Amino acid sequence: MFIKDLRKGFYDEILHQRVLVLVAFDVDALCACKILQYLFQCDQILYTIVPVTGKEELEKAYVENSEGVKHVIFINCGASVDVVETLQPEESVRFYICDSHRPVDVHNVFNAVQVKLLMKEEEFDELPEYDSLFRDDDSDDDSGNDSDSSERSGKRKRFDDEAIEKRRDKRIWNENRQKILFEYNQFSTYGTAASLIMFELAWKMSKDTNDLVWLAVVGVTDQYIHFKTPRDKYIDDAMALESHVARHNHRGDDEDNIISINCLKIVFDEELQLTLYRHWSLFDSICHSVNLACKFKVWTLKGQKRLHEFLAEMGMPLSQCKQKFSSMESTLRHNIKQMIQDHMTKYGLTNQDVVIPSFSAQYGYKNKLCASDYVLACVATLENIDKNKSATDNFLSALDILQRVNVASLEKAVELAKKQTQAIVTQVQTFLDMHQVISAGPFLYAFIQEGTMDVKFFSKPQCLMRLARFTLEAHCSVSRNKRARSLPLVLGAPLDGEQGTTLVIGIPPLQLDDERKNFFGKAFEQAAVSTNSRTLHDSFDSYIMEMKTEDRSKFFDALISLLN
Amino acid sequence: MDPAEVEFLAEKEEISVVPNFTQDKIYLIGGDVGPFNAGLPVKVPLWMAINLKQGQKCRIIPPDWMDTERLQDKKQEETDSKFFTEMPSPHFMEITQLLLKCATDDIPHADEIRTLVKDIWDLRIAKLRSSIDTFLKSDATHAKLNYLTLMELNTARPFLTKALDQMHLLRSNLSGRIQSTQE
Repeated sequence: MFIKDLRKGFYDEILHQRVLVLVAFDVDALCACKILQYLFQCDQILYTIVPVTGKEELEKAYVENSEGVKHVIFINCGASVDVVETLQPEESVRFYICDSHRPVDVHNVFNAVQVKLLMKEEEFDELPEYDSLFRDDDSDDDSGNDSDSSERSGKRKRFDDEAIEKRRDKRIWNENRQKILFEYNQFSTYGTAASLIMFELAWKMSKDTNDLVWLAVVGVTDQYIHFKTPRDKYIDDAMALESHVARHNHRGDDEDNIISINCLKIVFDEELQLTLYRHWSLFDSICHSVNLACKFKVWTLKGQKRLHEFLAEMGMPLSQCKQKFSSMESTLRHNIKQMIQDHMTKYGLTNQDVVIPSFSAQYGYKNKLCASDYVLACVATLENIDKNKSATDNFLSALDILQRVNVASLEKAVELAKKQTQAIVTQVQTFLDMHQVISAGPFLYAFIQEGTMDVKFFSKPQCLMRLARFTLEAHCSVSRNKRARSLPLVLGAPLDGEQGTTLVIGIPPLQLDDERKNFFGKAFEQAAVSTNSRTLHDSFDSYIMEMKTEDRSKFFDALISLLN
Repeated sequence: MDPAEVEFLAEKEEISVVPNFTQDKIYLIGGDVGPFNAGLPVKVPLWMAINLKQGQKCRIIPPDWMDTERLQDKKQEETDSKFFTEMPSPHFMEITQLLLKCATDDIPHADEIRTLVKDIWDLRIAKLRSSIDTFLKSDATHAKLNYLTLMELNTARPFLTKALDQMHLLRSNLSGRIQSTQE
């Protein structure tokens, strides 16, 4: 059931209670969790936070921590699972789901008592009707009749027609229901970011601060960076946040009211879409950003020459471009955005490729960060492949980074993010050089060979997502096949050598980029069922799954025939 | 007394806040506080002000003396005078620290105020040190200082009292031996 007023329906209910918070492993969830923690600390609410990576862990965490807890909050997890059915809670337990995954399981939507959805009801315009999915069943009567038929053969003749009618109606109703459910669950998309919803809750209670605005910004940017929401939705959300940013940051410019330099100051600006360029050299940054690298085709010799030409035409000395950005000449640094925009049309770049409205934060004299850098650093910590650290350790370190004061750990995280991005680009280059992206008819597919360097980076879902997208864009930019832009991509990466498992992800084609609807969730499930492959659909993102490497070929054959 | 204790005592000072909630008078052992009306300033003890601020329930109004001009004048006065001058509040250092830590966004020119208060503190501590120096060299038995705050006193107290004890011990040993050699 949807909650109309977040404050009355949700916050007032948990005000003097103990709560359990289950958080998924992505940056948006982390930001929402931090905002919620802040609110809890203001009002002294006791809480337990448990990070969960998948559906199995969700169940385990619930069972372990649910004693004495009457209110459970799910952040970015649990929407696609029928929570009441799976977790079997007691009557008095209330679930609050704040998840950006869509579609939401119909049982969660229509359960008026135990499940409350913290989502924007306006986004749900394709919900099926309650009556077409649930009805009071007479099915017990039918089966009862059948078993008694031997004794009541006389009366049975009269009821026969009615019974047949009823059974036929029921069968039609069931078929209709299956069809509606299939259509509803077919595409998986993403709704408004969880952190934005939590921020609006804080705002309605007048407890929002500049720090919370920044967390909401990071959450929304995370959705865009991992290609979960289309550009239009991101820009809408960014505009909504811009008004909040303006409200909190308008002071500090007039003489009487100068605020301390240590306060957080957020600025809304058009930001260059270069990955981590402030912490890297300009040249490296261009080669590692999805849009620019693919437009210039930097892995070919010709592409490299064009890139050099572009830099030369802008008047950037090559030696400076290859140095760290912060040590470039200050005039060049300030004018870089303008220069790129002036010269970009000649090289086939559009404004949409190069800039995007975004936010950057400044506190103290030293620290200036833009939102996308922050997201990449956070994700790098969250998906740290260090063997000594457990998943929970990574989660806690990532939460620490969101706390502004830990500048040293932030710098380390940025270095990690650089390594991840470099691994992604090297892998894409390998794919293209060895022509490993193969067309299988209805889709493209590629596999990362086991034993490749840095393959461990791709055993994590968010990194794999960025790799898949980069591969698809790069392949489309070099491919002579006109149809390449309309084909989706399926990518497989080795997950665990000893157990022989692979992590598989499917992403929609570039042509449908305005909506980013992903149909691979259902397709994977059906293919797995039809071939009896040993798969695990554990992730909250339905288009990512694990499977045994041996079953790979038959699974793919099934997938091809399914999508043909 | 260590600095934490002094800070604890300083938190009893009254300060004005503007709450964003409404509540009746609160009856506490130390005195009554309130009633609270949203949007109207009310005087509360510093500890309560900080607690409310951290819970996003109020806005803190800096005390009158926490203003760049007044502090500049005070600093000038302190530089010109040979003795200690009267401070705007007997706990000026602690209050400044606490407010600048939790309510930085409510105080205009926070950085300048921090620098000015630190300067005043440094001047007074320097005067204290030279005054102790003079006291020891002149072999006096007592000294009187006006307008010294509790925090400044506590920076000197532990070391000074122990040092004077040791000096007395050494002196009495020395005079004892001189007497015995004279006899």
